[in-house]
Amino acid sequence: MAIGQLGAGITGFEEQKGFRFLTYSNARPRPARYSRDAGMRGRDDLDDGTGPRTPSTRNEELLELIVDSSADFAIYTTDQTGTASSWNVGAERLFGFAEAEMVGHDADVVFTSEDRAAGIPARERSRASQDGRALDERWHQRRDGSRFWASGLLMPLRDGTGYVKIVRDRTEQYEAEQRVRAEEARFRLLATSVPQLVFTTLPDGGRTWPSPQWIEYTGISFDESLGQGWLAAIHPDDREATRTAWHEALAREKYYVEHRVWSAASGEYRWHQTRARPLPGSTNSAEWIGTMTDIHDLRTLKDRQGVLLAELQHRTRNLLGVVQAIARQTMKKSQSLDAFGEAYEERLRALSRVQSILAELDFGDVSLRTIIEAELTAHGDGALGSGKIEIGGPDVNLAATAAQALALGVHELATNAIKYGALAREEGKLTVTWSVSKEGQHRVATILWRESGVTMSETAETGRKGYGTELITRALPYQLKAKTELSFEADGVRCAIAVPVTEPNVGE
Amino acid sequence: MTTVAGRRLLVVEDEYALAFDLAGWLESQGADVLGPVASVADALALLDEDALPDVAVLDINLGSERVFPVADALQAAGVPFVFLSGYDSRVFPQPYRNVPLCTKPVDNAQLLRVLGTVLAA
Repeated sequence: MAIGQLGAGITGFEEQKGFRFLTYSNARPRPARYSRDAGMRGRDDLDDGTGPRTPSTRNEELLELIVDSSADFAIYTTDQTGTASSWNVGAERLFGFAEAEMVGHDADVVFTSEDRAAGIPARERSRASQDGRALDERWHQRRDGSRFWASGLLMPLRDGTGYVKIVRDRTEQYEAEQRVRAEEARFRLLATSVPQLVFTTLPDGGRTWPSPQWIEYTGISFDESLGQGWLAAIHPDDREATRTAWHEALAREKYYVEHRVWSAASGEYRWHQTRARPLPGSTNSAEWIGTMTDIHDLRTLKDRQGVLLAELQHRTRNLLGVVQAIARQTMKKSQSLDAFGEAYEERLRALSRVQSILAELDFGDVSLRTIIEAELTAHGDGALGSGKIEIGGPDVNLAATAAQALALGVHELATNAIKYGALAREEGKLTVTWSVSKEGQHRVATILWRESGVTMSETAETGRKGYGTELITRALPYQLKAKTELSFEADGVRCAIAVPVTEPNVGE
Repeated sequence: MTTVAGRRLLVVEDEYALAFDLAGWLESQGADVLGPVASVADALALLDEDALPDVAVLDINLGSERVFPVADALQAAGVPFVFLSGYDSRVFPQPYRNVPLCTKPVDNAQLLRVLGTVLAA
């Protein structure tokens, strides 16, 4: 009976919650008897003889056919309290209860026990009465206790005697949706927690979603970043390349560009590597997913490495040039190959010592004391701490190039002292002192090398013409604009070297 | 082949041993050596005082300064020159890209050939 009432005013279908519902006119439905067998018996037996065939009886007939044969939809009616009054084949199939089992019995058994305990069925009925319908998406239960995800619609019958419920099994769709939702949640979690700036985009570069990291990094809001708005964070010089990279991206299904991205936190553009790939199986109009990785430090290091390599090569070649020149000069002043070998090797060692000091300081400024101590330690044979040698002067620094030249000069003085001078005999003494003065715009360190307790012999004469003498009296003035004086006094060598020094750093 | 014999030749090189070694060798080849000098200021002073050289050999790094002001003065005066440096040509500023470079340590024979080439040009 109830279904006839329902069917009287069918006007079409309504798409809702993934499936179509029949829709109804406001015309008052005419009462009709419904039996599950009616549709099968044919139209002559369908009518209970209350009159000629009218459009509304045809509608009823149509509806009964639909309801009866609808195996995908469970359709059943209940009275006010939920006792079933009809139960179609779809309901039999879906819930596993036969019509005979259900009609006259409580239809709420299709709800889960938890929902029944929570009073859901009654609440649904009251909602349907109040609003004219109650949509219902929840787990339902079959006769055998198994559960399925149901999408249901409950509507009151117009005569107020009860309700009709239409239910569809949506388990597959529900589980698919859950999977998609879980995948989406995983993507969002990943996309929002990696250090990269993640985005989704259309293949024309139009952003559809910027990750929170992007918003925080660039200071450009979600809405401002959409479409081509995100380009505002790209360095103006890189925007053209950023845009045109999309042309190639379409053919290769791969977007790649290196460009500078504005960092709001550091107030500078930083180099990023941006990649994007289309979602699998997508077309040209579909979404791509991309990441932007900060490669600024990497790039800077690479640039710096290139500079360092060039500088290293330069220093090596220069050093070889110096080695070559020392060899030629030493050769000129040597009487024999043995003498050459000895002197050349010692000079290379002195060069190597000062190179070690310079390398340690990364070719920055070097303290004068370090240079002098290194030479005297190497030659002094422990004399440095023995009281034979005295060193003293204020802290003062030399530029790397000056340090190298001066170290070679000190080496010549020390070698001479060990062979012929103060460090060659018991009573000999050596003092090396220095002071700093200002000469015009420059600061100058004046180093005094004084040997005593030496009886100068004819061997000193050789020294006068030697390489060491030339180095001190000619090379240092030439190379460092140093002023030098070298004299061979009766009790030992005196040498004064006035060399420009670097300005102390402010605050030192 | 063009030689340096009888030519006025400026040497700018701050490393004493290298400068005098080079100057001595060039003189042995018959060149009239101007300098050697070790700084930009000294080189510019020489160019001011004396008659212009026919050709010059320039070390690029002079202590803490670079020789480029001297190169500019020579270019302006139309004097050819060659660089002598531990640097690769790729670190050169653009205006000097076409200037020949002899790398250190010096290959005397090669330097002589390059000087001959720029003198003949």
